[in-house]
Amino acid sequence: MSLLIRNVSISDPLSEHNGRKTDILVRNGSIVSIGEKLNEKAEKVLEAGHLYAGPGWVDVLADYCDPGYEHKESIDSGLKAAAAGGFTDVLVVPNTQPAITTKAVLEYVQRKAAGHPVKLHVIGAVSRNLEGRELAEMMDMYHSGAVAFSDGWQALQHAGLMLKALEYVKAFNGIIIQLPVYASLAQGGLMNEGEMSMRLGMSGIPNIAESLLVQRDIELLRYTGSRLHFSGISTPESLALIRAAKKEGLDVTCSVTPYHLYFTDEALQQYDSVYKVEPPLRTEAERLLLVAALSDGTIDCIATHHRPQDWDAKTKEFEYAQPGMTGQETCFAMLRAAAPELPMTRWVELLSTNPRKIFGLPQATIAEGAPAAITLFDPEASWVYEGGEKQSLGVNHPWIGKTIKGRSYTIERL
Amino acid sequence: MSLSVKHLLGIKDLTPGDIDLILRTADQFKDVLQRPIKKVPTLRDTTIVNLFYENSTRTRISFELAEKRLSADTINFAASGSSVSKGETLIDTVHNILSMKVDMVVMRHSASGAPHFLSRHINASIVNAGDGINEHPTQALLDAFSIRERLGGLEGKKVALLGDIMHSRVALSNIYLLTKMGAEVTVCGPPTLIPKHIEKLGVRVSYNVRETLAWCDVANVLRIQLERQNKPLFSTLREYSLYYGVNKALLDSLNKEIVIMHPGPINRGVELNSDVADSKQSIILDQVQNGVAVRMAVLYLLAGKKEEALS
Repeated sequence: MSLLIRNVSISDPLSEHNGRKTDILVRNGSIVSIGEKLNEKAEKVLEAGHLYAGPGWVDVLADYCDPGYEHKESIDSGLKAAAAGGFTDVLVVPNTQPAITTKAVLEYVQRKAAGHPVKLHVIGAVSRNLEGRELAEMMDMYHSGAVAFSDGWQALQHAGLMLKALEYVKAFNGIIIQLPVYASLAQGGLMNEGEMSMRLGMSGIPNIAESLLVQRDIELLRYTGSRLHFSGISTPESLALIRAAKKEGLDVTCSVTPYHLYFTDEALQQYDSVYKVEPPLRTEAERLLLVAALSDGTIDCIATHHRPQDWDAKTKEFEYAQPGMTGQETCFAMLRAAAPELPMTRWVELLSTNPRKIFGLPQATIAEGAPAAITLFDPEASWVYEGGEKQSLGVNHPWIGKTIKGRSYTIERL
Repeated sequence: MSLSVKHLLGIKDLTPGDIDLILRTADQFKDVLQRPIKKVPTLRDTTIVNLFYENSTRTRISFELAEKRLSADTINFAASGSSVSKGETLIDTVHNILSMKVDMVVMRHSASGAPHFLSRHINASIVNAGDGINEHPTQALLDAFSIRERLGGLEGKKVALLGDIMHSRVALSNIYLLTKMGAEVTVCGPPTLIPKHIEKLGVRVSYNVRETLAWCDVANVLRIQLERQNKPLFSTLREYSLYYGVNKALLDSLNKEIVIMHPGPINRGVELNSDVADSKQSIILDQVQNGVAVRMAVLYLLAGKKEEALS
């Protein structure tokens, strides 16, 4: 397969072509040549227009529900959604049925993803069967290709177990991912605790439910000298703790979701369960602080927290509906809408350079001879998120059927 | 005159004009209920289903009586003993009922926002008979009706809401209604039972029952939601009763007589002692009686019938 992309703007701080408008020739999965007005033949030719090309994006955290919940998403549909959203690499959570707590399940997932142009990386479970009591076989999973360890949607509550996990993974320079929420402080909460939850008569989840666990885990990180990544940070209190820990030199990093950067708890006024997510959508003031932290270096990466649900799981009373929102296909549009001023090169760092460094994935770059891990993105493109444009099986996204501005995809989608 | 809303989901959505219209319409229905023949033919071509996903005595009977007094056909549905216990979803249950040509739905549900969710999926008018810890709009309307009846109006009146504010849908609906109609409101109870940010609704917060009673014209004593106590919110019922309960000795020590209300069911000896609940100061049974007239008014107005049908 060969592809010639004409007049594309390169956005890649690692590339000597950064900032140029030029042609790229891809053949058999590699970048063959880069230059203006390439005199080459290709099976497909694309006139780029407003298109940018950058190193392939990484989704730090997604749920493909496979095995166990294939009616919500499968590895195949999930990876197609990733390609449609511009991700060349995806990390998936272990919250499947059975959970990814052993090499056997991990290899099943890898086998199902094999041969797909988007690379799937597994986050292995920290605790056996995600029960939060005993360590899972992390070393065995690491040697089978797990890139990080986490109990995914279930935050590790037990301090002793978290400490052991952080210590245990030091043997192979592993990294623990925590989605921080203190269960005993979030108990019964359905949305952000604030004026809106009070007005809507819904139990709230206070910011401290997140930040107290962040604080605890940073203490454990300092004690163990290990590596820790927080995903889906939603409060300024957590950001302040992470900022200080980084300044101190601890190996801590974090990611945010597109929907926490874009939506606020005001979206819940009609009790629409599509906005029921974990952690909950916060206030506008807090959203603005998250957006600001994209540029000051506190936030390292973007994690879509793509969490597909089927119609029956979502079309319920708010309290009974399953949490989560899909997010891979709409990621770029939502990020651009949330922070239109952020320069393209910073997005490339957040979506490619940083996550590759943190999770030990090979760096991608737009260079001759490099693998064609390329993400194309067009901030001006308008499209409707439905039908053939929607690859994910998940029905839980507020933009389904709507016209969206800004689009990204991998070259396999061409 | 008609309401600005199609459903009665909460007082939050009503204008002061809507509230006034409901109360004035209820005045007329209260007159009807004093007549020897307490029934009007107003809704005789209307079928109403009472969907109770949560237990209720007063509210269910009150709605049913209101519907019968309006000559509506009624169906009663309780979640226990129905297909819900076999796992049927709310939408399926309601669609099944509506396919039998039902015009209005009165629903009580344990989940906040359940009637709002339902309103996006069906065309029939919905009356919220209590949703989770959110609202209980007809209770607030009948409370307002009863205060107005006893004190002549709502504007400028000082109303205290005592007890479990956090888990009380009655409290939130009362706050919305009273502040919209110009009354002053203080909420009072243990700090663990008062939701954060409540002062943003324009109410005062107090942790001292004696001071609050000394301030108010009306004290609406709320039920301790024993069934919602899944978190440690206070120590013991004994301590609650000692420091937050309302009893005759406490009321007698005030230099004025205040009006006592309670939405029921009362935990006697916990939030309210019998020597107060059954005293002359109490208008608890007036509240119950007014509930029928107020619910008749709500159903009548939502059904959108012409006013002359009343006569």
